[in-house]
Amino acid sequence: MSYYLGLLQLIGVHTLLGLSAYVLMLTGQLSLGQAGFFAIGAYSAGILTVIFELPILPALLAGALIAAFFAFLVGFPALRVKGLMLVVATIAFSEFVRLFFFNLSWRVPRGDIHVGPDSTNGFREIRYFVANGWSAWEITTFVWIFVILVMAALWWMDRSRAGAVLRAVGEDELAAQSAGINLTAVKVTAMTAGGFIAGIGGALYAHTATYVDHLTFTVLLATFAISYPILGGLSSVFGTLVAVIFIQGVLVEGLRFLGDWRNIVFGLLIIAAMNLKPSGLFDARTTLLLRRSVGLGGRE
Amino acid sequence: MGDFWFEFVEITQTIGDGLFFGATYSLIGIGFTLIFGAMHKLNMTYAAASLAGAYVGLAAFTFVNAPALVVFLISALASGLIGLVVYVACFRFIPVNNHLAALMASIGALFFIDEIVVHTTDGSPLTFPAMFEYVMLEVGPWGLRGDLLFVLAVSVASTVGLLYVLYRSRLGLATRAVSQQDVAARLCGIDVHRTNATTFVLAGLLGGVAGAMTAAAVGVLSPLVTVPLTVKGLIVTVIGGLGSIPGAIVAGLLVGGLENVFLYFRGVNERDMYVLLLLFVFLVFRPHGIFGSAIDRD
Amino acid sequence: MSIKRLSAAALAGVVAAALVAFAPTASAASDRTVKIAGWGAKSGPLRSFGVNSEAVLKAAVQAINDAGGVKLGDGTMADMELDYHDSACNADQAISVARKVESQSEALIGIGPTCSGAAAAMYGIFQKTVDDDSDTGLQFPILTDTAIRPGLAKKSQWTFRNVPNEITMYDELFKWLREQYPDVSTIYGGTETDQAHSKLTFAIVIVPMAKKHGFEWVGGGIEGVTGAVREGYENVLEVSKSSNWLLADTNFSVQARAFKKSGADMMIVSSHPFTTCGMLKEMKRQRINPKVLVGLTSSSSAETLKGCADAAEGIYIPTGFAPITEAAAMVAAAAEANGGSADLHSAAAWENAHIIKQVVEATGVMAKPETLAEDRRKMRDGLEALVNVDGLLGEIGRVQDEGESIKPYVFVQARSGDWEVVHDPR
Repeated sequence: MSYYLGLLQLIGVHTLLGLSAYVLMLTGQLSLGQAGFFAIGAYSAGILTVIFELPILPALLAGALIAAFFAFLVGFPALRVKGLMLVVATIAFSEFVRLFFFNLSWRVPRGDIHVGPDSTNGFREIRYFVANGWSAWEITTFVWIFVILVMAALWWMDRSRAGAVLRAVGEDELAAQSAGINLTAVKVTAMTAGGFIAGIGGALYAHTATYVDHLTFTVLLATFAISYPILGGLSSVFGTLVAVIFIQGVLVEGLRFLGDWRNIVFGLLIIAAMNLKPSGLFDARTTLLLRRSVGLGGRE
Repeated sequence: MGDFWFEFVEITQTIGDGLFFGATYSLIGIGFTLIFGAMHKLNMTYAAASLAGAYVGLAAFTFVNAPALVVFLISALASGLIGLVVYVACFRFIPVNNHLAALMASIGALFFIDEIVVHTTDGSPLTFPAMFEYVMLEVGPWGLRGDLLFVLAVSVASTVGLLYVLYRSRLGLATRAVSQQDVAARLCGIDVHRTNATTFVLAGLLGGVAGAMTAAAVGVLSPLVTVPLTVKGLIVTVIGGLGSIPGAIVAGLLVGGLENVFLYFRGVNERDMYVLLLLFVFLVFRPHGIFGSAIDRD
Repeated sequence: MSIKRLSAAALAGVVAAALVAFAPTASAASDRTVKIAGWGAKSGPLRSFGVNSEAVLKAAVQAINDAGGVKLGDGTMADMELDYHDSACNADQAISVARKVESQSEALIGIGPTCSGAAAAMYGIFQKTVDDDSDTGLQFPILTDTAIRPGLAKKSQWTFRNVPNEITMYDELFKWLREQYPDVSTIYGGTETDQAHSKLTFAIVIVPMAKKHGFEWVGGGIEGVTGAVREGYENVLEVSKSSNWLLADTNFSVQARAFKKSGADMMIVSSHPFTTCGMLKEMKRQRINPKVLVGLTSSSSAETLKGCADAAEGIYIPTGFAPITEAAAMVAAAAEANGGSADLHSAAAWENAHIIKQVVEATGVMAKPETLAEDRRKMRDGLEALVNVDGLLGEIGRVQDEGESIKPYVFVQARSGDWEVVHDPR
């Protein structure tokens, strides 16, 4: 059972990572910097529970707020750049964060050992959950409470005026601006919200994995972050969840029986999926079909 | 005075080495910029495909002991072919205005190509042939690597070749037409898909040269290089200005040279942070790149 | 359109197959086999770790079964059965496989995950202290091969390692070099700083051990480095002291010039094969010929010779494996037959399979589905109780409270494209 629960935790954490990129994508911003905010959340929350011995909840919220703060700061210069420029700028940001943690060594004595981030050697002993006797069930529930909260918040936002505003900016900035939408406010808010969500994800990740080092937060992780919403589609938050299950559940774990071929098939299936469903696995059509099949109706 | 002279030689040598090595970054940057210029899309597979081309060349070296020049040629051809396949698999059938899907498909292709390489070689580093590998030209107190000189010569030659194709042939005219005014080009009877495919092949050929030159400059080839080369290529593309070929050339040399200076003064742990800061400086103060390219940023 | 449909159907098929693979594979009546699970990097740039480890493990299991199998607690002879998984070099995947094997299989013990970084993360999800009910970590024994970063296994009492002990190896290497090269006095070197193994071994083991045996770092030594392990290690990596690089670096001109400028008699290149080759090639271009060249244990593999046999000529490396005994030569051949190669990392997998056999027989494991938890506990206790075991190069000592090994070793040197044993202190 612990395997499935562990997998559920991983899916939960990655859903948060994907949703953090989803929020930005709604406003038309493609960011490969989410791994950076994820790292900030992971290290900050880890430092708070390990070095300052805070309970998990305040540590997690603080980690998310710190990540959100940095996202807020990144939001302003990011306004100046679009498209590929933004992609590269955010890759650079996230690599910068990674290199910062690669250089960070902050060790304090605890009993007969030292704990804390230790540059290349990584940040070990983030064992808040197991050391406090949390069962795998409890950890999984804890993770999913946040996933559900974030998904619900985004889902609700999407139905409200805020969602329409975000999407308007994503569709056509000029038109949105002439309709009286404050681009700066919208984009910076989206960036900050994305940072906050990635921060929660990172904080949860560090505590479920018990160990992080700078190599956890490479461009590859940032790539996964944007992969989820693209693969899942931007029509709703569920797309991201579906994509995380598709990648982490099916491609990474489910295809283990393929042995050596698993990773080769991995790339091919992504190519196939994008050619067959360029607007995402969970695009508007699928949504409609699903709504119909569960009797919610819905118009063509 | 002696000390000063010694420092001076050290620093100039450091910059020189970096500039020469930067030629390989320039080539990768040109490839990214070319495809972006033509399609306004990001092809994440590019660096991986370039190195995969070099691996095909290496196979010729390993199995039939082909001479270095032939290896380079095969690398270029193979990478050109891979470019075509990537175009068909990741761009051709995906709606033109769907940038995200094409980007994602190219990420899938990146994983695929990288994993094929890893599976065939077990990820082991492999000797890559070079021309003039252990030749060291000595000019006073300075030394100049013969193989890097060759790399630079090949880079210049292939860039000139590329520019010739772009500005002096019908094919190039079509490519530029599509890149500047897609709809108008279509109305003039230019086959957009075919032109785009040609751009991918051209960029691929150049990428193969870049991959082979990078491998030859190190003397060893490993799949470890893919991601750093992708990131560096993107940085060079942006510093040079999107779509600007001369910009990519200068930016590649600039990044190569400065990287070595940062390494010399601040050590390897901080080196890449300064390169990233350099990029931030450009993004804030010269968002259009070194030559302020005419292409819109989006 | 029909092609589109067809590929959509194919996509759906693969997804369905993947989901089916999730269903717990309940092997109803276990026919009494000693199941073991291995995992390691079989994808990604470090794939050779997993390929080699799996090849050696397969050969070992085959050999054990050919010799009659393993004797269980009630006297039955059972075959050993191996299941090998790919966990890339990735913390998430290593953790996931550990959990999967622990909860979805009847494996008595796991051998993985080959990479030090992944191991450091994976060990964290295991129960730290046995019988501590407030600790909900996994209770499943692990006997790791390959992952060599110093001091990992004591993280949990369930995790054990059988990897060479670098402290002793470099201690003896420099002692021997002192005797061989009495006129060598100064040293200089560098490492890959983004890889914990190469960096730690360089700073806390290699440099102090060289100092201990009377070699002096050029420019008047390094402050704090006294010759004791770990002393002054932070100063070793100062920019003004050593000249370093990163795992995927391609340009080594600045570092090599610093090596040249140092004019040291002995030079140290502490990194993995790819950058070891890059650096050695650059040293060759700049015509740097130290009297002695010393490398990192991990580079004493076939990879280095595939990458740069010419530039590596003459480098000395201590290693825990060389085909110098009959058993070792046999393992090398068997690994090759299985599509891998036996080196200091993977050869340990052979020993691990045999250690497992020994522990099963000593603790009376029953290998029945209903005794699974009990059997795993017996394996753990048995591993902890081990004092020494037979290894390929001779007796392996166990550091019992740390879960680590002290393995016999030899010194090899690259000579015309081959590793030759130049000193055998056994």
